[in-house]
Amino acid sequence: MASRVLARPPAFRSVGRSLLLTLPIALWSLLMFTPSFREPGRDRHIGSLAVILFMTTLFFLMMRTGKTYQWRRWFFVALGLLFPVGFIASLVAVRGTMSIPVERMVSGDTPFCYMVIPMLFIPAALARTIIFPGSILPTANNPHSIAIMIGIWLAMTLVVGKGWCSYVCFFGGIEEGFAAIPKRARIGRSVRKLDPRLRLVPWAILLFVVVLSAALFEPVYCMWLCPFKTVTEYPAVHSVETALQMGIFITLFAGLVIVLPFLTKKRTQCAYFCPFGAFQSIFNKINLFEIRFDREKCVDCTLCQTACPIMALSAESIREGKTLMNCMKCGACVDSCKKSAAVWHLKGTKVALKPERARLLFLYGAWAMATMFGGSILANSIATMLHWLPVK
Amino acid sequence: MVVVPISTGAGEALLLGLATGPVCLASCGPVVLPWMLVQPRGVRVQARQLSIFLAARLSGYLLFAATVWLAGSVIPRSWSGRSWLFGGVQVLLAVGLLVYAAGWPHTRCSFADSSADGSSRLVQIDEPPRSHRSRSHRSGAVTLGFLTGISVCPPFLVAGVRAAQLGSLADALLFFAVFFFGTAVWFAPFVSLGVVRRSSSFVTVARMVAVLLACWYAFAGGSVLIERAIYG
Ligand code: SF4
Ligand code: SF4
Repeated sequence: MASRVLARPPAFRSVGRSLLLTLPIALWSLLMFTPSFREPGRDRHIGSLAVILFMTTLFFLMMRTGKTYQWRRWFFVALGLLFPVGFIASLVAVRGTMSIPVERMVSGDTPFCYMVIPMLFIPAALARTIIFPGSILPTANNPHSIAIMIGIWLAMTLVVGKGWCSYVCFFGGIEEGFAAIPKRARIGRSVRKLDPRLRLVPWAILLFVVVLSAALFEPVYCMWLCPFKTVTEYPAVHSVETALQMGIFITLFAGLVIVLPFLTKKRTQCAYFCPFGAFQSIFNKINLFEIRFDREKCVDCTLCQTACPIMALSAESIREGKTLMNCMKCGACVDSCKKSAAVWHLKGTKVALKPERARLLFLYGAWAMATMFGGSILANSIATMLHWLPVK
Repeated sequence: MVVVPISTGAGEALLLGLATGPVCLASCGPVVLPWMLVQPRGVRVQARQLSIFLAARLSGYLLFAATVWLAGSVIPRSWSGRSWLFGGVQVLLAVGLLVYAAGWPHTRCSFADSSADGSSRLVQIDEPPRSHRSRSHRSGAVTLGFLTGISVCPPFLVAGVRAAQLGSLADALLFFAVFFFGTAVWFAPFVSLGVVRRSSSFVTVARMVAVLLACWYAFAGGSVLIERAIYG
């Protein structure tokens, strides 16, 4: 894969123009990471510098080649793979284990995860209760507080909509990493033949966890269904119930995040399971950017449908010139289209009139957010790994 | 036994109902929501179904009120059979939801029906004869309403304890009837679900939710029953 991806890209823009377009992102990255250079710690400085270079270079390549998906994927997979490293390291440093002891839950020391957000609204509205054992404001033990994470989520969601699943979600990055390993899909065709109703499963899970969380006053998804507990934190196993929970987490992670993405080259967990992804789809309605299809150029070859990692295209939607509601704006369909019929689009403008301008506008917002949120996670994880290395 | 004057009891019941309505809504919502989503279109029809559901729920309440009042004097508060009842009702709710998810007996999902591009249509519901249909919906409303009416959610238990302390059976029944009206106010928004109903995707999602909830209730009720069977 590396040789294919690193092969000299076809020039879409001149080097000078690409550099010029990259300048705002380079400045933004510097702005974001300058504070970390003021703090002591060589590992932290190296981590920040690496991230500035990494994010700026990837953006330059997006400008130079006109392609989005493959360069975004380098960042996204790095995020998915490095996030657990930094997170687990900080858990082990603070509490000596990945499991959450009950007393930590009671004292509100559980880092807040955005997956809980859809489950918060009803209990908060009906009973003014936050059904998560975290603290609202940051504390010494828990900087990932509820208020901070909700603020980050809101800002990012307004900018990228469901693009969250391509530029922000470290969990999706893990899956994309496993999907990127094989050269071609072993059971790709079978996935396309799956009953299209299965695409509705994430909505059903969303509704299920929202109503049941309201009934039980606890975040049901986190307690019973989240595959990513396997690589983050989990309740300490001390009873049949907690053992069962752990069994469910591991089974879902192994099946939906490792095995199926590897066999299908699709993000199966995101496409067929994740309720937060379904929730984010709602915000595609208010987001300014989308992917459209120029029907005059489209020859219905369905290359784009094959390329889409989360089955957000159907033959019918392509005929209508649109994606399905769950499109995460990864750009794979646009990059795969040989007729330039799949285009980035700014809502309210004529389709395919200035698609590159729409892409640029979207990417500036998305990459700035990715640098700020994902970039700091990457820097932290790199610093952690350097700290572990025996040779200094 | 402490005898509570009925005038105090009615006001208290209404307040208790209104105050704990959101909790009732949260407890019964998981059952009502998917069920309402698969009901026929139209606010009027939905309102009728909801009324039948609530009436059945009221009868469940009254039955419970009568039982706790009668039991109040003879059975200690910590009666262990409560968890048998609790577990059994949850398992029955699971069965009821599964029946709805399957669309039995009058709705049928058409998996074989294919559109031009080879993908099967999202879902197709065969319409049963009108008379048949309304009878089926009515009996569903009655079953689920009754079962949620006797499911022992926290506010229900509080009301049960109060009813058991009242001086006569009539007072206990009245207490629960008033308590019921306090909670019922919170169910009104469900009528608006008729607006989204009949999008085939909504029906499919509602059925999937019903299956998931059935699994949950079966697990919750089953584990209570197993625990009681093992530990007594
Ligand atoms: S679908 Fe869920 S896990 Fe996948 S990227 Fe989106 S939020 Fe993350
Ligand atoms: S439709 Fe295109 S942009 Fe949207 S998720 Fe699929 S490949 Fe990515």
